[in-house]
Formats: sequence, C-alpha cells, structure tokens
Amino acid sequence: MSATFNLAGETATQFLPILYLFGFGILAGVPSIVLSRLLMTRRRYNPVKFLPMECGQVPSGEGRSHFMMQYYSYILMFVVFDVMSIFLYAWGVTFFSIPREATLPMIGFLGVMFAAMGYALFLAGRKGIW
Amino acid sequence: MGSLTPDFRFGNFVASIVWLVLVVLALFTVLILPIIFFSLFYVPLPIVDGQVLTPYLFFSMMVDPSRTLPIVQFFIHTDIFRAAIFPGFAFAALIAAVTIFVERKLLAKMQLRVGPLYAGKVEGIFQLLADGLKLLTKEIIVPSGADKPIFWLAPIMFVSTAAAVVALIPVASGWVVADVDVGLIAAFAILGFFPLIALLFSWASNSKYPFIGGLRALHQLIAFEIPFFLSALPVVILSSSLNLSDIARSQNIFWNIFILPINAFVFFISSLAELERIPFDLPEAESEIVAGWLTETTGMIYGLIQLGSYLKLYALAGLFVILFLGGWYGPQIFPQELIPGAHESNLPLLQMLALDGLYNPITVNSIFWFLVKTIVVIFLMLIIRGINPRIRIDILLHTGWYKLIVLTFINLFVVLMLIYGGIIGPEGVISIR
Repeated sequence: MSATFNLAGETATQFLPILYLFGFGILAGVPSIVLSRLLMTRRRYNPVKFLPMECGQVPSGEGRSHFMMQYYSYILMFVVFDVMSIFLYAWGVTFFSIPREATLPMIGFLGVMFAAMGYALFLAGRKGIW
Repeated sequence: MGSLTPDFRFGNFVASIVWLVLVVLALFTVLILPIIFFSLFYVPLPIVDGQVLTPYLFFSMMVDPSRTLPIVQFFIHTDIFRAAIFPGFAFAALIAAVTIFVERKLLAKMQLRVGPLYAGKVEGIFQLLADGLKLLTKEIIVPSGADKPIFWLAPIMFVSTAAAVVALIPVASGWVVADVDVGLIAAFAILGFFPLIALLFSWASNSKYPFIGGLRALHQLIAFEIPFFLSALPVVILSSSLNLSDIARSQNIFWNIFILPINAFVFFISSLAELERIPFDLPEAESEIVAGWLTETTGMIYGLIQLGSYLKLYALAGLFVILFLGGWYGPQIFPQELIPGAHESNLPLLQMLALDGLYNPITVNSIFWFLVKTIVVIFLMLIIRGINPRIRIDILLHTGWYKLIVLTFINLFVVLMLIYGGIIGPEGVISIR
C-alpha cells in the first residue's frame, strides 16, 4: 500500500498523469479534425443538406422540444441511492481495520437503504400516480 | 469508381497535399523548433548515465547504437512514455483498432456473412486503414441551428475522457499511467461523464432522434450506475484498498471471481450497459431512432466517437480483469533469458533483449497474462453482441433496479458471512492474501 497519509499537494499530483492522457486525447482529436477540415471535399451550399436528419422528410417543428421520457421515479431514486452507495465504500475499504461491532451500524444503514429503496420501488411500480 | 466528382483532378489533389506538407514543414521550422529550443533553456535536463542529456548528446547517442540502451531505459520510465505509448494512449488505441476489425469479422462469421474482404487482399486486413482515410476525407456536416462549439468539442471530449479511464488501468505491477490511491472511485467518476457528453452532443445537434438517444443514455446511466458501483464493493472489502494495483496484487492466490461469481456477472452486465453495447444499445438503436445520438455525426466526428467508445471497451475489460480475474497473475511461461547468450553478445539489438537490458521476464509475463485475460473478456463482449436482441427501455430500468441491485447485495452478504464465519479473510481458514 502506498503512503496513506499524504499532503494535499501530493494527493493532487497523483492525478496529474490522468490529465496527461486527457491531453493526449485532445492531441489526437484536434489535429484529426483539423486535418479532416483541410482534406475534406466541400460542395456548393445546399439548404437541404444542412437540415436535421429525419429520414428524408422535411423536418417539422423544433429540434429541441419537450420530450416526455417518463420514469421520473427512477431518477428521484438515483439521486438518493447513488450517494448512499458511495458511502458504503468508506466502510468497505476499512473493513478489516475496524472492530467487528462497527459493522452493526452499517447493517442498520443498509436496512434503512433497503427499506427506503423497497418503498420507492413499490411506489415506482404503482400506476396512476406518476 | 463512379463516385468521383466531375471536376476532380488527381494532380490537383496531389498538389494540395504537397502544399499542406510544405506549410506544415515551414511552420515547424519557423515556429515550433524555436519554441522547443527556448523552452529547453528553462527545463532541467535529465541526467542519463552520468551526463546531462542535451539535444546534441541525444542525437549522438541515437547515432551510436551501443549508447542507445541507457537513453531508451531512461525514456521508458518517464511519465510521458507511459501516457503516450505503452500502458497509455497508443497501446489502447492499437487494441481498440484490432477490436474493431476482429468484431466486424467475428460478427460476420457468426451471421454467415464474409465481412470486410477486399482492402488488403488477405481477408480485408487493411479495411480499418481504408475506413480511416475515408472518414478523414469526408465532409463534416454541421446541421443548421446546431450549437457549434459543443458540436465540435463533444467528440474530442469523448476521446479524451475515454483515454483518461485508460490511464487508471494497470497492465503489470508498476506499469500504470496514474497510480492513484482511489483509482476505483476515480474510474467510476470518469465513466459517469459519458452519458453527459452524449446528452450534450445530442442537445447541441438540434435534431429529434439524437435528442431521444441522449435521453436514453441518461436513463441507462441511472439504471446501471448503482449495480455497477455496488458489484465492486465486496472486491474492495476483500482487498482493503481502492488502488487498482493493490486490488490486483491482493488476488495473487485466489481470483475474486471464485468468491464473487454473482458480482462478476452483475459487473459484466453493467459494463455492457455502460458501453452502450447490445443488448443495451438503446442510445444508438439503429432500427428505432436512425442512429440515436450519433445521427448527426459525419466524417471524422463519427470516427473520433467510435475510437473513444472502443477505448472505453478496452478500459472496462481491463477493469473487469483487475477486479475479478486476478489482474496480471498467471503461470510464469517466459524464460529467464529470451535469447540464450544475449548479454554476452556485442550486437546492440541483442543486448537490449538481455536481462539487464529491456527484457524483464516477470513484467513481460504479467503483461502477457493481462492481455490474454483482457482479450478473453473483450471476446465475450463481442459474442454477446452477435447473439442478442435489444431490450426495451422499461425492461432495462426494471432489470437494473429490481434484479441487479438485489443480486449484488446477495453476494455481499455471502461474503460477510464467510468472513465472520472465519472461512476467508486475513485470519480465516483460507487466507486470501
């Protein structure tokens, strides 16, 4: 295991190579698009060509419109349980270094999570209220 | 060959390319070389073999082959080499390219077709090169009313973000671009950006089908993110670390898949959903919404997004190998010396292959086994694409929320019982470390 107690700056430097690769992605992406702009064929302007794709029809209405996707209940649940599931990692990584009794509150936490999730899933399955 | 425009002249085409090369060379001489030399004044030059490595020394070492070894040894341990070439961008892009070709051939064989056949005479092995050239020379059409900055930026962000995930994947002990203490969480965090990029791009392209595809990508994220997180939680418990290298090192005796088969299954399913591959390719369902959020992509924009999604495929297959398939551990099959008597030889190339040169049997063995396992996982993902239909969005949400989350918790409780029953763990009957 590498050093557990780091200075804030050292911890930040660990993430620097990720930025290097992010930069290499940009270094690969930007020149290929620029080269493509230089090499590509450019025909005359044609108003039909720049219309949004709608399988050959002339597009009607706005491109960015209100679109009812449904399933809001799952989105509400995601906002809560995604954060809760990340909290479990703090317990998981210290599992063998904390006393056994410390798992009991975690089981309580999981119980709360399960009860809430079960009730939310029950509500999500009901018809007529969403 | 009927698709050339009537005013196409081959001479003009060649002349334009020659002009391009000349302009690039002129810019290189006038701008880039001076910038390099000015910046070298301020950069602390590295010391190789007891000498300060000036550009002149670098070139004289390159000319004399017997003096190349220390500089190569120095170079392969720099961050730049790791990020650009070996566990980083070039390596992952090579695997991505091979995967695209193998996928096309494999799917064709599975569906009784022949696949790419003509480019390169032998089974169409240059098809990818031909496709790349085609994409490079195709016109990029930005639809009217599109949000131009986001439209141009999103594909580049897609590739860069996929490359950032690749940075976290170790291929052997010590061979990783970014050895981060919280590598697993960082990988999850970066993977969460992809649906956002898809949604931004679909919103920017001002068209209906992309917009529906982007929203579907978002729904897929909310259905499969939580099983994806939770299926890796028992792995973290067993290895007591979030560092991906440490997680792989903790499996040097037992692979996690033997203790956590259900979680490995859930992780595999969720990573298929994360990759937007069949059966979870709703965001780009080509038989329902044209091409989903990729409908308005043309030319190199499509090429970049394709490269990014295959980089992501490699990264997730690598993550599966690290978490469940024992990382880089496998039987030692490489000998102590690759070529007998190499280190006594005077040939510089043979000296490089000797034990004190670039060849290290343990590292090479690790990389070999990591690659074999990764390729097996990638093949599993490709075969699933060949044999499955696409599922409906409500079934997708139902699978994610009602089934996969419950499955992850079942295996979590099994692991907790095994640990508290004294069967596995540091002081258990079967010591996992």
